[in-house]
This record gives sequence, C-alpha cells and structure tokens, in this order.
Amino acid sequence: MIVNRVTLLGNKDHGKSTLIGNLLIQTGSVSEQRINDAKKTSKKLGRQFEPGYILDSFEEERLNEMTIDTTRAQVKYKKTGFEFIDVPGHEELMKNMLSGASYADFALLIVSAKKDEGITEQTKRHLFVAKMMGINMLVVAVNKLDAVGYSQGRFDQIEADIRGYLGKIGFRDDKVSFIPISAYNAENLVKISPNMKWYRGKSLIEELISMSKSRKEKKEGELLISIQGLFDGDERSVFGKILSGNLKKGESLVSLPNGKGAKVVDIFVSGSRKGNAGKGNVVTLKLDKSIGTSVRGVILARRRGACDSGSIIHALLLITKPIKGNLGVKINGVEARCKKMTVNKAIDIATGEAKTAKRIKPLNAGSVELELDRKVASDLFERTPEIGRFLLYANKSFAGIGIITN
Amino acid sequence: MIKQDLKQLEERSIYIMREAQSNFKNIAALWSMGKDSTTMLALARKAFHGKVPFPVVHIDNSIDFPETYQFRESLAKRWNLDLIVAKSQIKPEMSGFACCGANKTVALKKVMKDYGFDALIVSIRRDEHGIRAKERVFSPRNKNFKWNYKNQTAELWDNYSSDEDSDGHIRVHPLLDFNEVDIWNYIKKEKVPMNPLYFSRDGYRYRSLGCTHCTTAVKSNAKNIDEIIKELETTKEEERHGRDQDKEKAFVMEKLRALGYM
Repeated sequence: MIVNRVTLLGNKDHGKSTLIGNLLIQTGSVSEQRINDAKKTSKKLGRQFEPGYILDSFEEERLNEMTIDTTRAQVKYKKTGFEFIDVPGHEELMKNMLSGASYADFALLIVSAKKDEGITEQTKRHLFVAKMMGINMLVVAVNKLDAVGYSQGRFDQIEADIRGYLGKIGFRDDKVSFIPISAYNAENLVKISPNMKWYRGKSLIEELISMSKSRKEKKEGELLISIQGLFDGDERSVFGKILSGNLKKGESLVSLPNGKGAKVVDIFVSGSRKGNAGKGNVVTLKLDKSIGTSVRGVILARRRGACDSGSIIHALLLITKPIKGNLGVKINGVEARCKKMTVNKAIDIATGEAKTAKRIKPLNAGSVELELDRKVASDLFERTPEIGRFLLYANKSFAGIGIITN
Repeated sequence: MIKQDLKQLEERSIYIMREAQSNFKNIAALWSMGKDSTTMLALARKAFHGKVPFPVVHIDNSIDFPETYQFRESLAKRWNLDLIVAKSQIKPEMSGFACCGANKTVALKKVMKDYGFDALIVSIRRDEHGIRAKERVFSPRNKNFKWNYKNQTAELWDNYSSDEDSDGHIRVHPLLDFNEVDIWNYIKKEKVPMNPLYFSRDGYRYRSLGCTHCTTAVKSNAKNIDEIIKELETTKEEERHGRDQDKEKAFVMEKLRALGYM
C-alpha cells in the first residue's frame, strides 16, 4: 500500500495532537493497549482522557500538553493509507515544522474557531512554508466548533479569512477544502456529526481520501541521476538515485557540472543486475571510465544542458534564524560556500506582502541571488525538486531553506 | 497496521546506508540477532553487493537465549560478518530499567570508545514506540550518549547529515519507516534467515526479543512467517508487550534513551 503523507499545520493549542489521537481511535488504527495507556496517564495526571497522549509520549509533553519535535502516526481507512506528521506549533520550532513538511504529499491545517484563537500569524507562516515547499493541496479543519455553539457564522468567517490569505500566496481555491470539526468530541472526523446540520460536506477522513485520489504524479522528465558516492572506492562504480527519466544499459552519459563523459556498462537496482532503471530507483552503475574521485552531488544526464551547472543560484529563501557569519548551502548532498548574497525582495510571510529590501528578517522569506564558491548541478524546483531545493547554513548551523526559481 | 510498499522501503534503506557510508569514516552496526537488525544486515548485503562492509556489534550480557547464540554463530559464518562481541557484566539483582541502563549502555559506550566508531547503525522502527516515532534518520548523540530530543537537527527531504558538529556519534536508522508487518513481509520475500524463537512452540512465541531476564513469550500459534503476518493483522497488543523495560513504569523508554539506550 502506498501511504499518503500528510503534514499537520497550525498553532499551538489548536488541537493537532487531539485530532490525530481521535482519528487513530475512530479508524481503529491504534491498539487498545496504547489507548488504555493514554487513558491511564490522563487519569494519573488528574485530567479527562486526552487522545493526544497516544502521540505525545514524552513525560514533559504530557505534563505540559505540548508536542516535542515531529512525530508520525499511520491511519488506514477504506483501503487508503495515511501517515500523519504531527509538528510542534511553537514559533521557535520552525525547523521541526520544516522537517515534517518536507516529507508530505499534502497538508492538514487545524485552526481553532474559539473567539480568542482563530487564524494567527503562526498559522499563516505554516501555510506559506507549506506552499513554498511544493505542497499544493490542503484540508482545513476548523476545530472546537463545540466551543462556539457549532456556529456556521464563525466557521464561514474563518474560511473567508483563510481563503483571503491563501489567495495572496498563490494557493488554488479548488485545491483547498474546509471542514468544521470538534477534534475532542470526534465530530466530523470519521462520522458526520448531528450537531452541524448546516454542513453538507464530507467527513475529514473522506475528504482526505478524495484528496489522495486527485494526487497526480509529475510528468516524466528527462534522465537525471544523482550520484551518492563510490562503491568500494572504485571510480568506475557509483551509487546513485534516478531522479527522473529512464536509463538503459549501454547509454553514454555526461556528468554535470564537470562535463566528463562515461558509458553505463552495467546497472544494478537494489543490488540486482538489470537492463534498465527508472525514476526513484536506487542504483549502482558500472561505468567504462572514471567521472572523477569526488562524485557526490554530481548529476549524470544525456546532455550538458539537462540541468544547470553554474555557481549562481536564484532562489526563494526562508530564514529560520538571524543570519550571521559564513553562509553556506547544501544542495543534492554537496556543500558549497556562499560568497555573496543579494536580496532582491523581502516577503513578510504573515501577510504575504513582498517589497524591495536589502535584508530578510528571521522567520520571513525573500527572493535572492546567491553566488557560490563552486559550480553545482541544480534545476528549477518545479522541474526537478530534488536538485531545486537546498538547505541554508550560517556558521555551519541550519538557518533556512531555499527553492530555486527563475 | 499498514502494509507498506516493500520495494520503496528497501530502496530507502539502501539509500540511507549508502549515505551513512559516504558521510562517516568508521561505522558499526548493532546486531541483537533479532528480526529487525537481521533484516538490516540483509539490506546492507544488497546495498553493498553481497558483503556487509562494517563491523556488527553484539552487546552481550551473557543471558541471551541459547537459540540466539546459535543463530549468531551460524549467520556470522554464513554471511562472513565482522562480528564484535561486547561483553557486559550483569548483576543478578538487576532487571528492567537498571539492567538495560547500566549494563547494555555501559558496554556500548566502551565498545564505541575502544574502536572509535563515529556512527552506529541501529535498527529501530517508528511504529515500535511513541518515542521512537520522533527519531530522525541521522540522529546525533553527545559524548555522554545523550539524545537531545528537544532540539533535534533539521532533517529535510533526503538530507540526513546532522547540521551541528556533534561531539559524540551519529545514530543511523535505516529501518525507521518499516512497520512490524513490513519486516515480516520482507523476511518472507527475501528469505532472510531468522532466529527460531519467533516461531510458536507449545503455544507461545517471542514477538520482540530481548534477553532471558526481561523478555516474555506471548501466546501464539504462529509457527511460520505467513501465520505471523496473519496474527499481526488481528492483534490488539503492542509489539513490545513482552518487554519489561517499556511497561515497568511510565516514561521508562524515555529515560533509557536519554542514557544512550537504543
């Protein structure tokens, strides 16, 4: 079964862990033992049963009712598999949110309908980042409807607010759906609740199933093979992964950025000899000659122009902390020092507004030009995401992500 | 329990082990002779064309099951493994938390220091325990083997390397995405040799294997792999049900992992 990966987005205390906890229970995806364990803990802490404890396993998570780092939980319903990636909603933990969202096929946003909660800056940041990372399908669960008298007016208002922001950052209207829920009471998660008769849509899990069915595989691009390293120090035997296209034994390829050519003498997929290999395959290639000793991050392709091989990169950058000291990037497994960064525009990701600026503030984005100290193989994110994105480091410490743009 | 695509899981594990090989100078793998770490070795043989290229370490407290020792000897020979047996001294009055913490972890620290390993392949899976679900593929430990779970490294896309310089070592987790049932399906598909204790004898089998002191067999009539897979589809119990360390008291796993336990 192919599992759909869904990242959770949303503010702290808006009910992410509770929602997943109850979804696990309602779909029968968690053992009774684990439910009982969460019940016992709730009792010991003198609290009502908290379904979120099924996911939050650390003592301090349960005591402080918070999620530490990302966690994953799998749900199976009507022959469709989902893996929910729960991420902390705290502002300072943006890097965890990024780590979780980087593996997702689509996103589930949880927003509390309570009067003093609703859509926050943090929520907007999460949406911006998800969109930037290539997530273009979204389900919005408007939570805690029970706390606002199941008010349709409040639900409609939140939907309008969020749609307004999503429009600004380029989310397509028809790729977003809204569902009123109560995560704690498990209303509209799997079963439709009688308390919200005004809502005529699907339950949350049914909506996620529809979304998984409308997922489209990317069009087949031209052959690009990312090289991981040498097998056993042999320069004519390389480990790699096929990012796009199909490879046949006997083909002549060129390595980028260095331009050296070699013929593929033999192909092994997962250790077994094959005549060809396709997108996603992890391969060992025997070559007729060396393409160099330092092969990590090299791209093998059929022609020189198959991807970019320069040292200048244009990108949309998201900064997670103040940038100080030496800048570097890590792209497709290789590190490069950034000699110069020119900011063209800064984007306030809480409003989606872009303006000309010289600096990007932490937890915000901007369009930049980077000059690297060496040539790297890269491509536009929308064409080949694997080599169209990179990690940004400041003094060797993670400081953000970049998406390669025109 | 979801049965995932084995081809995808296999390729991901192979990719991770090759990433580890490119990133570190001196890797070792832990081998408990259990189903997960034995599957990991089978995957390593695929990743590196027939030969496990790193030493495999057994933290031996001398109270593993006789079948486990026999299995160790026969497979080490058959697969030509570079086996390191790291003996830990166990005190008879110890059990559970104290035992795993004091014995296994101390022995592990010693072997890591003696051989100077900078990375350790550990075959944990996310579905085993809520805390393991939070793990990264490359997970740094400091010099005291402590896991800083509150401030884990950013791990995006397929970039597994740690972002901060670590003064300890990196744990590498190639099997993190596997579910228990995937392990058994993979064992079946690839005919991975298995410790006989997993199969039912007299109405009992081991579902999760530790040492003789803390592991209890579960009621089961599953005598072969197919029957185990079938059993997993209907079970209401957790995999590590028979492992004392997890249930002794709340949050034991967390404390053990903070001490450097796997």
